[in-house]
Amino acid sequence: MNKPAARFAVTVLVLMALFPAGCQQDAGPEIEDHRPLDDGTIVAIGDSLTEGYEVAPEEAYPAELERKLRRQGYSYRVINAGISGETSSGVLSRIQWTLKLKPDIVILVTGANDGLRGIDPQLTATNIDAIVRQLKARNITVIVGGMQMVRNLGKDYTGAFARIYPAVAQKRGVILIPFFLAGVAGNPQLNQADGIHPTAEGYRVIVANIFPYVVEALKEHQAKIKKN
Amino acid sequence: MLHVHFILRQISRSRKQAAIFVLGAALAIVTLVGVNGFATSIHRALLKDARTLHGADIIIRSNHEFSRALSNALARLAQTGAVAGARIWEFYSVVRTEDDQASLLAHLKVVEPGYPFFGKVKLRSRRDFARVLIGGQIVVAPEVLSRLRLKLGDRLHVGGARLTIADVVLQEPDRPTNFFSLGPRIFIAAADLQRLDLVHKGSRVRYIHLLKVDNPRHLNRLAHELEAAAEPGVERVTTFKTAESRLKRFFDNFLFFLSLIGIFTLLLAGIGIQSALNAFLREKEQTIAIMKTVGATGSFFTRHYVVVLVALGLSGTIIGLLGGYLLQVIMGLLLGDFLPENVKLIITGPEILRSLGLGVVVVAMFSFLPLYRLRDLKPISIFRKELVPPPKGLVYYLIAAALFLFFTGLVFWQVRAIRPGLYFVLGVTLLILVTAVLAEFVLRLLKRLRLPSLVLRQALKGLFRPRNATRSILIALTASLAAIFSIYLLECNLDAAFIKSYPPDAPNLFFLDIQPSQHLEFTQALGMDAEYYPIVQGKILAVKGERIDARRERQRRGDNLGRTFYLTYRNHLLQDEVIVQGQQLFRPDWDERQVSVMDTVAEIKDMGIGDRITFKIQGIALEVRIASIRTRTRESLRPFFYFVFPEDTLREAPQTIFTAVRVATPAIPALQTTITKKFPNISVIDVTATIATFARILKRLSRVIRFFTLFSIVAGVLIILSSISATRWARIREAVYYKILGAKAAFVKKVFALENLFLGATSAVLALLLSQTGSWLICRSVFHIPYRPFVYASLLLVLATVLLVLLVGLITSLAILRGKPDSFLREQTQE
Repeated sequence: MNKPAARFAVTVLVLMALFPAGCQQDAGPEIEDHRPLDDGTIVAIGDSLTEGYEVAPEEAYPAELERKLRRQGYSYRVINAGISGETSSGVLSRIQWTLKLKPDIVILVTGANDGLRGIDPQLTATNIDAIVRQLKARNITVIVGGMQMVRNLGKDYTGAFARIYPAVAQKRGVILIPFFLAGVAGNPQLNQADGIHPTAEGYRVIVANIFPYVVEALKEHQAKIKKN
Repeated sequence: MLHVHFILRQISRSRKQAAIFVLGAALAIVTLVGVNGFATSIHRALLKDARTLHGADIIIRSNHEFSRALSNALARLAQTGAVAGARIWEFYSVVRTEDDQASLLAHLKVVEPGYPFFGKVKLRSRRDFARVLIGGQIVVAPEVLSRLRLKLGDRLHVGGARLTIADVVLQEPDRPTNFFSLGPRIFIAAADLQRLDLVHKGSRVRYIHLLKVDNPRHLNRLAHELEAAAEPGVERVTTFKTAESRLKRFFDNFLFFLSLIGIFTLLLAGIGIQSALNAFLREKEQTIAIMKTVGATGSFFTRHYVVVLVALGLSGTIIGLLGGYLLQVIMGLLLGDFLPENVKLIITGPEILRSLGLGVVVVAMFSFLPLYRLRDLKPISIFRKELVPPPKGLVYYLIAAALFLFFTGLVFWQVRAIRPGLYFVLGVTLLILVTAVLAEFVLRLLKRLRLPSLVLRQALKGLFRPRNATRSILIALTASLAAIFSIYLLECNLDAAFIKSYPPDAPNLFFLDIQPSQHLEFTQALGMDAEYYPIVQGKILAVKGERIDARRERQRRGDNLGRTFYLTYRNHLLQDEVIVQGQQLFRPDWDERQVSVMDTVAEIKDMGIGDRITFKIQGIALEVRIASIRTRTRESLRPFFYFVFPEDTLREAPQTIFTAVRVATPAIPALQTTITKKFPNISVIDVTATIATFARILKRLSRVIRFFTLFSIVAGVLIILSSISATRWARIREAVYYKILGAKAAFVKKVFALENLFLGATSAVLALLLSQTGSWLICRSVFHIPYRPFVYASLLLVLATVLLVLLVGLITSLAILRGKPDSFLREQTQE
């Protein structure tokens, strides 16, 4: 393979995908099988932070979360629906497609690429709000993963950006993970050389952090089932 | 004791032969001096351009603050004075106008004094960058002004600081090293870094340290030293020679091409001198035989001919050097404006000495064998019209071996690397051997021909007449033509691969992340024709039924099948694509789902038409059958996709759309503003500046290389001409016999013309065969570029060669044809 050409191919296309191509779920037939385990389906929607850039598919957070849930006695399947480089506009565009996965719970972690491209936080907020509204309309339990922007963008921007998530969560009454990358962002030991993508170890920390919010969502989901 | 009269007589008796020998030697020297001298200048210019591209000798990059070990190593080196350094912090930030009304994502470059060590940051005011970029002031790209509606002197909020726009940057030397940028450039002085308050834990910053080494010879050692201190995988140390850039392969290939020309020139010069010399000495054989008959000793001839040849060789060399000097002056005058500013055609003192030495050695080496043969020349050869092959004793083989070793040494000297040098030597040896075999084959074939016309028969016989040395002429001619053709073909191929991939209509504005719902509206807002590329991300589950192990795949060198691919759908080929397997993109006769695959990715798993690939697109498996395999111009700047699906297969999948268009520079800001205002989610990337830098460098260098190629070709042709006229001269004497026998001038002319046609055509066709093969090999295995045979140009080369040989033959024969036979006969008897 012609390396410069390959590199160029990657560069051109990666730019649509600020986070370059990583690795998605592995191809095992058991994962291809999207029938819910006993209790339900969780779909992790997001960008490369969800997809698991440059880590093995089973090391990305959705796989890790599923294992942890099972260890704790919850039989939920967690589907990785992360697309590297995707912005909140992209998620909004494909939300109908994602709904085909028939999720009971959605963990929505998007917006990082919007921030890295300097997109107006107002747009990101509108998009996330629209996504959550559509999910809620289908009676799906939603967890919004809060994101903070890299500090080099300036206080005004990072401030406005950080306010998006609590605002949407409050407005739509959904569960909020205050900061999805808490304890991981900025820690060289838990991130890859690029400084923004977590390592396998980083994902373990993330799952530990978000687990209480997921459990909260499971309870909400089970309550809904009982109600029906 | 030397017999001065004898020496003078030897020279004056065959003035024309002597003149041709001197001229041949002179030409060889001019070529060597010119090619080597210019090669040195161009080599220097190439390296300088490579250095300018990075602005430094050594470049260290990291996404984190430098480790203590590396910082210490840097400090140590700076203290000893071995390097001068400048730090750079590169990151994006959203900057705002002073009234907070408008903001923009900008690509900041905070630089310490010293940047750039090579090349210049060109400002609109033409002021010195270092003087303008001081604390409190910034230098911005033109788009910053146009998009924020600001002017020079206005102030901008950058992080926590308020900075004054002092100037506009027009050109940044190291721009192409990061091709894409999401925002326009803003230069900030390192003195303001603290005030910006933007570089912290949690900031995404590229830390760069540029170094200029004090002594270029220590470059690699210093780089290794720093690399040893750097944290592997995190801190990357490169030099301007090793740093990957899109231009690196271009530089490498052209440097190799330069040394190739050097070697070929050496070969040509050798052939030129040798054939001129042979012709000169062959004429003397009769004289020597006669003198031997009357008692002259072998050592008498050796002694005297050494003097004759030294005198001739030296005058040739001196004329050559003068010519080289003159050439430099004339080229300087003619091409002063044409050549880029940093390419000076200066032939330095050492270069002259080197060429002088080379010239003398080449003449001496090539003269030795013919001289040695003179010793054994028997008086009897006066009466023999047959060419007596000289005995090939131990000395003969020793000399041949010495000649070979000498050339090998020269090649290594020229290339300065073992492996390529070895390839060169093997290649040239092979070239000559193959030429010899082919020449022999063709001659045997010709000998068997039974031709109907007298003219043709005579012409053919002429080739096999004793003392005509057809074989050696054919070999010399073929080998030198092959060298020249190869230079030409390689240059054309390099040009096609690199220069032409930057056409004036190459897209300069990229729009990313267009949502399908925005497609129509975007097309209207853009207001011009454009190719839209839908992008669907997907992975490969299996190829030909075999599961892809992502982990193992990723260990593969180069590209692999374990990564995420950008898939697209369309029902047509792109402008620079060609189908290499299959009839059309998709098969209308297949009911199955289909895909078209790029050749580069098909090679990874040896995929062919009819094979099946299973993709996974957003959790859904999709099995498709390969309907065609495409290839594309690899160096092209146009976007490309490895996997193309029919529209109906992927239309519903989650996707974004991307497009790239060519927009005239003045129209860019307005368009950019319109689009970003209307579609805030779409990122616009302007690569005009980068492409301009690329194109400028490529164009400049291609011009230099083209000039250089032309020069070596012209010189080579002259050498060939001189050797043809040298060898043909003797042959022309046949004309006299024809005339005595009553042939008309027209008949003689026809015979000679046909004979020359045989020679010219045979050697040109053989040379084309050899050069096509050689160039193909070099393009594929050394340059790694696609090979084009340039059929028409090749045929033109052959035609031109034949015409030239005919013309030279005609000119050399004119004098004799016009003369009366008796004057020639009288001259003969005098000898």
